[in-house]
Amino acid sequence: MDPDQRESIKSRQGATVSAQGDRTFDVPVVVDRDLCRTGCHVCVDSCPVDCLEIDPVRGKARMAHDECWYCLACELDCPRDAIVVRIPYLVR
Amino acid sequence: MRRSDLPDDVRLECDVLVVGGGSAGSTAAIEAAEGLPPGRVILLEKAHIRRSGAIAIGMDGLNNAIVPGFATPEQYVREITMANDGIVDQRLLWNYAINAWPMIQQLDRWGVKFQKTVSGGFDVRKVHHKGAYVLPMPEGHDLKRILAREIRRREVRVVNRVMASRVLVRDGRAVGIAGVDTRTGAFATIRAKSVILACGASGRLGLPASGYLFGTYENPANAGDGYSMAFHAGAELSNIECFQINPLIKDYNGPACAYVTGPLGGHTVNAKGRRFLESDYWSGQMMLEFWRELHGPDGPVYLKLDHLAPETIREIEGVLHRTERPSRGRFHEGRGNSYADAPVEMHVSEIGLCSGHSASGVRIDERGATTVPGLFAAGDMASVPHNYLLGALVYGKIAAAHAVEHALGSEQPTEDVEAEGAERERVLSPLDREGGLPPHQVEYKIRRLVNDYLQPPKTEVRLRTGLEHFQRLREDVLHLEARDPHGLMRALEVGFILDCAEFAARSSLERKESRWGLYHYRLDHPDPDPEWFVHLSLRKGEGGAVEFEKRPVDHSMVQLSEEELSTYSRLRIPREA
Repeated sequence: MDPDQRESIKSRQGATVSAQGDRTFDVPVVVDRDLCRTGCHVCVDSCPVDCLEIDPVRGKARMAHDECWYCLACELDCPRDAIVVRIPYLVR
Repeated sequence: MRRSDLPDDVRLECDVLVVGGGSAGSTAAIEAAEGLPPGRVILLEKAHIRRSGAIAIGMDGLNNAIVPGFATPEQYVREITMANDGIVDQRLLWNYAINAWPMIQQLDRWGVKFQKTVSGGFDVRKVHHKGAYVLPMPEGHDLKRILAREIRRREVRVVNRVMASRVLVRDGRAVGIAGVDTRTGAFATIRAKSVILACGASGRLGLPASGYLFGTYENPANAGDGYSMAFHAGAELSNIECFQINPLIKDYNGPACAYVTGPLGGHTVNAKGRRFLESDYWSGQMMLEFWRELHGPDGPVYLKLDHLAPETIREIEGVLHRTERPSRGRFHEGRGNSYADAPVEMHVSEIGLCSGHSASGVRIDERGATTVPGLFAAGDMASVPHNYLLGALVYGKIAAAHAVEHALGSEQPTEDVEAEGAERERVLSPLDREGGLPPHQVEYKIRRLVNDYLQPPKTEVRLRTGLEHFQRLREDVLHLEARDPHGLMRALEVGFILDCAEFAARSSLERKESRWGLYHYRLDHPDPDPEWFVHLSLRKGEGGAVEFEKRPVDHSMVQLSEEELSTYSRLRIPREA
């Protein structure tokens, strides 16, 4: 590989590492951050496999582990209708 | 997070401790609280009791209701003896059968909405081979909430998000449990006079065909915890080789619901659109015919509903897309399928252990007692065949009544510093292992090997090869790393899953015949052997090795003719010439 090209890949990798924090991946539990209410943790309590958490920075719910049973407990129990559960990609 | 960051240990004590707040655990806690002073019952739940267990999102009906006028206890015992190839403890079935109707009335009083006829009677449907036992609960999505309300009313002390790791045993008797808080990582011990295990199926044993670790048929929180903990406490496990394998909607991996669609005219067909089963009631024989058709020239298999009237399809969707696994509708929508347009492709589930659907469980007697004094079991993990939801509710109550009796005659156990300290070390050590193995990888490997070597049809060489792999994986369990309390939970579950895989392999090797259709189909011993008309008990022997014992089958309560016993071997509709 051309050394210049390798350098440019490395520098791009460096740039994407910090950018990944904000990227939304295709995860089953999708939370609408505007609707989700800070201080509420009903969905985190409901999840039978404990795969959700409250993001400590934003104070909103998010998926912490890709371990969803697509049971819809979080979606059904959310008092603000802020959650939509998608069938996991591998199952879809 | 490291061990030095953990909060102080949690220490609790009570008279009756119920481990698991699903269907069986909920009725157990309710019953136990009726017989003891307030606060003397603890209900421990790995998740939250409002949404836990096999019916976290409710259930659409009772599959084995014995409603006067539709069925009798005698008839039910006869039916399940037939459906389980004769290998049943009829005393267990009988005690279920006579307590089923009082439980239905209890649920009715608590506000569970059953389907009723215009005259107000229970609207019982026929799905089984012989009798009518299916009682729809079209609004069964509320069941868990109703049980949680009754638990609150009785001042049961509920401890959510704490997972049990081992039963504490002293002088051969159960004296409590050790475990861990899955949110804080605190080590917990709860001492009790009686312990009821109601931890559900071993539902994370085989790997689903989709490859998604948590896309299991059963609630994936039920990782076989109860089977493993009962074994390590010294209890006998019964007929583990009778695996659970269920028909399902392919890829979605949720029930295809013969119990909902059957009475309304839905049924399974092959790729040529022809029926091949006499009865869609789940049994090992039905699964064998299903599996043969799936892999035969006329496969795969479909759920056919497209011949039904639009209003009937809407009625079916109204139930299936709201209760038990409500995301099913979303799955079909994503695929562009609809029940009205074409038959829906079906498949079979990964293997699991679950008495609720088949017969593999921790051996109990008709009081819900295991073979260890002070240790009781109920629900999907206890050895009552084809027990389903209603059986879990009934045996939770039965076990609790006897657990209370046992507690009232027992002394409060004292602390066992050495045993609790050793378990503390075992449970928390994954937090200290920097650079160890991630639990999900080890779990994936075990479950992939379960598929490769344990999935029926079984052969001795395959089972032995699987067992060798599982023994090698024992070393890997000692190198699991956890970065947080959640990881500790997953690491402990890996241990449970590996134990269940080993029990499944060893039991399947031991029973040298074929029995229960596909559940224990041995290609090298293809026929049932009268010598093996026994229960196969597995337990932890001296030095920790697995030991077996044959236990006789007793049919003295309800005797069946040879003709009746072979009923379920005639499930296939003969092919047209």
